[in-house]
Amino acid sequence: MTTSLAPAAGRAGTRPAPGPRRRRPRQARLLFLLPAALFLGVLSIYPLITLLRMAFSAVTAATLNADWAFTGLDNFTAGIQSGDTGAALSRTAVFVAVVTVLGMGLGLGGAIALRTSGRWSGALLALMVFVWALPPVVNGSVWKFLLADTGLVNTVLLATGLRDTPVPFLYDQHWALMAVAFVNSFAVIPFNALVYRAALLTIEPEVFEAAELDGAGKAQQVRHIMVPSVRGTTLVLLILTLVYGLRSFDFIYVMTYGGPGTATNTLPFLGYLQAFVRYDYGLGAATSVVAVAGVLVLAVLYARSIRNEEKHG
Amino acid sequence: MNEVKAGPVAVATKLLLTLMYGVPILWILITSVKSSAAVFDRASTFVFTPTLDAYSAAITPTLWTAMGQSATIAVGATALVLVIAVPAAYGLARTTGWLPTLGLGLLIVLQMMPQTANVIPLFQIFSSWRLLDTTASVILADAALLTPFATLLLRPFFRAVPPQLEEASSIDGAGILRTFWTVVLPVARNGLFTVGTLIFLLAWGEFLYAVNFYLTPGRYPLSALLAQQVSAFGIDWPGLMALAVLTSLPILVVFSLTYRQLKDGLTVGAVK
Repeated sequence: MTTSLAPAAGRAGTRPAPGPRRRRPRQARLLFLLPAALFLGVLSIYPLITLLRMAFSAVTAATLNADWAFTGLDNFTAGIQSGDTGAALSRTAVFVAVVTVLGMGLGLGGAIALRTSGRWSGALLALMVFVWALPPVVNGSVWKFLLADTGLVNTVLLATGLRDTPVPFLYDQHWALMAVAFVNSFAVIPFNALVYRAALLTIEPEVFEAAELDGAGKAQQVRHIMVPSVRGTTLVLLILTLVYGLRSFDFIYVMTYGGPGTATNTLPFLGYLQAFVRYDYGLGAATSVVAVAGVLVLAVLYARSIRNEEKHG
Repeated sequence: MNEVKAGPVAVATKLLLTLMYGVPILWILITSVKSSAAVFDRASTFVFTPTLDAYSAAITPTLWTAMGQSATIAVGATALVLVIAVPAAYGLARTTGWLPTLGLGLLIVLQMMPQTANVIPLFQIFSSWRLLDTTASVILADAALLTPFATLLLRPFFRAVPPQLEEASSIDGAGILRTFWTVVLPVARNGLFTVGTLIFLLAWGEFLYAVNFYLTPGRYPLSALLAQQVSAFGIDWPGLMALAVLTSLPILVVFSLTYRQLKDGLTVGAVK
């Protein structure tokens, strides 16, 4: 489960904003924002400012609570010159692409398959939402086991003669990134399918009846009715899935811990390793700032798209 | 829509998803009742003598401590998040102008932040406040992580409360606070319930803060214990899977009690 899920809610309300007539007394309700403003100011905004300061300073375990020497862009150039930042950037791009393609594709596909009523669909949806609700450590652990040399996947591959040797899913340079990306999409598909399904259920049944009378097949109904009518949902889910992939950490930690070598060091994980394993907090902060910048771009796109939905929806 | 018949492609998709999500759950359960020897023997993949050894080895005082820690952290974080996010969501639902717009934008940005970007500065901040190695630090950090998410998810529930209800109440002489407490909150209780459940589930599974802010594993919650064991060398799989089952049991209880509301509540925002 992930926390990047729900901003979908932001675009929600169907009720129009209160009219100008009753605007004035309502502003007293701004006071309701005060506790959150104080709390997040101290524990979210201030830490982000600290992160930024660390990124431009020399901070090690020894100087963590002392005065930090300002070093300008040194941390950033060190990261780029060692090749770590660039390599992590391209790994992150591949990772996010795999998570997004699988997460969106199987999310929509699952929703289309699950919009039928019946016991199988109902039970499968409940199962998927339950797996989604499980802690990432649990899902990560079981997949680490399923993908191990003696795990179920390799046992089946060997038994059916598809492979002579076990596939090194988690300790081969190329397989590892793909395997973790697959498990990440596994964790996001249920949410995407649930949201897509709700969007599909709002299409009037008459539309499908009319299409069937006109001789449209299933594939045509998907292409010409379903996909266009969930376009707004697609945009929201696309950004959420991109962010989900970009900030992914839990599964990498559990399944590969960034390895083998550096094969699954995406930007957030590299930043974590630099800070908490190499104790170079400045370098780790600089890497994290690069990841934050990527998230900021997506956040702006997202805020725009939900504002459009609230205005024109 | 209810009469839709599943075509062959839909059946194949459902089969694939059933395998994808059913097998891992089944495999956690099966492995947790295997002996260590059976796990590494391909011949015993499906046929083996079940044993509860892994459970009896896993159920120790350490486990109960960890479960207590998980409960403290999850309940504490949920309570703190609701106390802060509920008024904020109501405020954002009922005000207009640049301030709430800025607030909404900030919340969207904050809830998308990578957790690793928070854990680095928070480690330093808690260290200078001498809060490291306390349960309070983990609860505070979890609450800060989940408050933006909770506020954004709660806001539509408050927007759906008819303003006329509040007007009627204020005509009767009730102040803003009293109206909020006696009129608005009861109407929006489904939303509170859904969001509270989600925050509990997320806080129960969170492990990055716990692993870093507790300086010794002695007071780790279950999720952190699991994360620590799975990244160790020479993993004891039956033991790990038994621990995974025990970690998931509370989730199963909460899930079965709230699935209906959860299913609707999660989609309330994303679809009109």
